[in-house]
Amino acid sequence: MNEEKLKKLFAAARRDAPPAPPADFAADLLRAVRREPPAAPPSPVTVFDQLNGWFPRLALAAAAIIILCLAADFALSSAGLPDLGDGAAQMSSQLDMNDDGL
Amino acid sequence: MSEDAELLQRIRAGATDEFAELVRRHQARVFAILHRYERDVQRVEDLAQETFLKAWRALGQFDERAPFEHWVSRIAVRTALDHLRREKKHRGDLGFDDLGEDALDWLQAGDAKSELDSRSAAETLHLALAELSPVDRVVITMQELEGRSVKEIAAAIGASAIAVRVRAVRARAKLKHALEKLTAGGR
Repeated sequence: MNEEKLKKLFAAARRDAPPAPPADFAADLLRAVRREPPAAPPSPVTVFDQLNGWFPRLALAAAAIIILCLAADFALSSAGLPDLGDGAAQMSSQLDMNDDGL
Repeated sequence: MSEDAELLQRIRAGATDEFAELVRRHQARVFAILHRYERDVQRVEDLAQETFLKAWRALGQFDERAPFEHWVSRIAVRTALDHLRREKKHRGDLGFDDLGEDALDWLQAGDAKSELDSRSAAETLHLALAELSPVDRVVITMQELEGRSVKEIAAAIGASAIAVRVRAVRARAKLKHALEKLTAGGR
């Protein structure tokens, strides 16, 4: 079967008319719908659902903050300025001195 | 707000009878979709009823920003897919005995110059497509007979666009093979 013949077959099949729905189709369907049990109301959105929605954004924001802090620390160290660790050590030693004084 | 959206709001507010109007608006399209997969008119009607009942049950999940027509069409395709899967289990060999004389002559003719009437063409394709897997059949039908985009097909069968493209190429090759088998079987 060559491509041209297949295309002709598709084109002819596309023109095939579908059956018309019976006149009482919608009314019959409505009767079937009335026999259906009532649909359950949609479940309310819980806190966990909301957290699930927010989690990817929160995780991305946290990762961005960590990367920024690391980059800042690296830049300060490269520039010869005291880095965050030095600052923490200095504060700690000052606290020790205050304790000795007491 | 579209007419369908207004109708849906009234149905959701408890006006069950309005669902019949929604059905009347979309029944022709649903019948047309289902008829691509099932030639028996009574079965098409049963499948259409199944489609609208599924839509009724899932009405709470329908996103009103999208057209109702697209949503119910997707339900119709999935209903047809389930039907093909059920049918596949009970299907026998390729039924070239059911092929009409005109269709057989046309298939066996060397050139594609002669015309085949639409009914015979649809029946021939229906027989050949029965050789394919249900999903392949849906892909070919949506792409070639309904002119749907890859994105629409992907949404209907729950696959990625790439998977649909790959499947379409393979399914087309299988269809050609099935048509050749039909042609040879009638000799």
